[in-house]
Amino acid sequence: MINAQSVSKWFGNVRAVADVSFEVDSGQIVGLLGPNGAGKTTTLRMVTGFLPPSEGRVTVAGHDTIHESIEARRALGYLPEAAPLYPEMRVIDYLRYRSRLYGMTARDRKPAITRVLDRCWLTPVARRRVGQLSKGFKQRVGLAGAMLHDPQVLILDEPTSGLDPTQIRETRSLIRELAHKRTVIVSSHILPEVEKTCDRVLIIARGRLRADGAPEALLAPLKDASAYVAEVPTAASTAARQGIATLAEIQSVELGRVDDAWTWIRVNPKPGAPDLREAIARAVAKSGTLARELRRETPTLEQLFFRIIEAEDPRVAAANAEAGARETGGAKGTGAVGEGGVEAR
Amino acid sequence: MMRMWSIALREYASLFRIPLGWIVVSLFLGVAGVVFSFAAIVPGQPATMRSFFELMWWLLAVIAPAISMRLFSEEMRTGTIEPLLTAPVSEFAVVMGKYGATVLFLLTLLAPTLLYVLALELLSRPDYGPILAGYLGVVLLGMLYLAVGCLASSLTASQPLAFLGTLFVLFLVEAVASFVAPIAPDLVRRFLYALSPSQRLGDFARGLIDTSHVVFFLATSAWMLIVTTVILQSRRWR
Repeated sequence: MINAQSVSKWFGNVRAVADVSFEVDSGQIVGLLGPNGAGKTTTLRMVTGFLPPSEGRVTVAGHDTIHESIEARRALGYLPEAAPLYPEMRVIDYLRYRSRLYGMTARDRKPAITRVLDRCWLTPVARRRVGQLSKGFKQRVGLAGAMLHDPQVLILDEPTSGLDPTQIRETRSLIRELAHKRTVIVSSHILPEVEKTCDRVLIIARGRLRADGAPEALLAPLKDASAYVAEVPTAASTAARQGIATLAEIQSVELGRVDDAWTWIRVNPKPGAPDLREAIARAVAKSGTLARELRRETPTLEQLFFRIIEAEDPRVAAANAEAGARETGGAKGTGAVGEGGVEAR
Repeated sequence: MMRMWSIALREYASLFRIPLGWIVVSLFLGVAGVVFSFAAIVPGQPATMRSFFELMWWLLAVIAPAISMRLFSEEMRTGTIEPLLTAPVSEFAVVMGKYGATVLFLLTLLAPTLLYVLALELLSRPDYGPILAGYLGVVLLGMLYLAVGCLASSLTASQPLAFLGTLFVLFLVEAVASFVAPIAPDLVRRFLYALSPSQRLGDFARGLIDTSHVVFFLATSAWMLIVTTVILQSRRWR
């Protein structure tokens, strides 16, 4: 549905996006992640055809966004960052205006407007002026305007920025719902958000595509290295620690205070170790005490994200490489993330 | 066509929903009323609107940029240009729709001045030929000024800059015609006069509809609009 082929964008001497390629099939929700200034918005603008790529090409629904611009735009619904709207217009007038811009027939217009008002929870404010609405409502008006013509492709740039937690949840479920027969690209910097909503994640940093894949696939290499945390009575913590330390697949053990009575023990496994929860529970029991909690830390997109962002920063990268070599003998570390589709540079 | 029309309607309607539109209306009608009462209604003079039309150029040179400065600058500043130019609408339709709205607004501004014609009719027996020609001239002049403003607006996200830029260009052309032309060699002088819209407006005010004037106004306006379209399109190949 969307095909970007080695797309680059130069602004003067600055390369905002460098050689990015990806393909998105219909029915997929893709999350575009990256720190501020990474090139997310520029990438999305090139997909919508608002900006031309300096190199490479983008097609939407089989149409080149530059040479067959109008055809490509017909297949697109686009919500730009911060949902720009005309403050002096009423919500319903704005939607009427958009429906005419999309070239919808008079017969199609009315039901389409009723539908988007309903789906974006805008019916109560339909007659209000856009300028008087709260940020959350404005976002939804922008979203309603983007989905009026039932486009095959929806491009949403930060659709949840400025929304409260309830609205974020509502928007998330709306996006999921919309994705049934559509292709959706959502850019966001709220990572748990993307993890919950998207089938696939693209991570972009300094204009380069750093990761591309399903969240689980991207996180799998991190999972191996995730730590275990046990909470044991402080009185017995030294014994428990010694017990755990005898396990073969353990890299290091740390200790910390929860409160006066309880202490946490953090166990870092060696890379490639199997699930150690049972072994740790046994070791604690053998030392003559009881763990009131034992959990394995689940890797999050956030951790992956920070790894990639850190790898981008030369200073952090140097520190990381050193730590990685010490920790894993150079076999894993950033290279492990590479298996999930990340290029380690 | 429907898209162009809906862009024009939105733009036109929004001019009445913001203070700027009403400021322009009151400024125009206020000044036009003063000009008319002092220049046209003079005891013992013929009942014509000639001096009213002749003075129109400087009023429009201020009013037109105020109307046109928003067209693209405002959309660029607020970012609404993005959903607009990613909708399936050609850049030419966007330019024509927006420009059409300003021309419509100009006609709306001029409509109440028809009362002046009525006033003349009540006071004496005006000659309608020059009045019709004068209105045609003012509309054509306004169309040119709005087209220049439209072009300026597509070049900057700053409305004040678009306004001042247009104002500067419009007055510069007239200043050159009034101050440089008289002392220039004959060929240059004729060229400079030909460039000056106010000189041409004078002929209309006298009741003279010269085809070359009509062509000048329409062709120059069209040229400005084409350049505006190319500027909007240029973001795609720049």
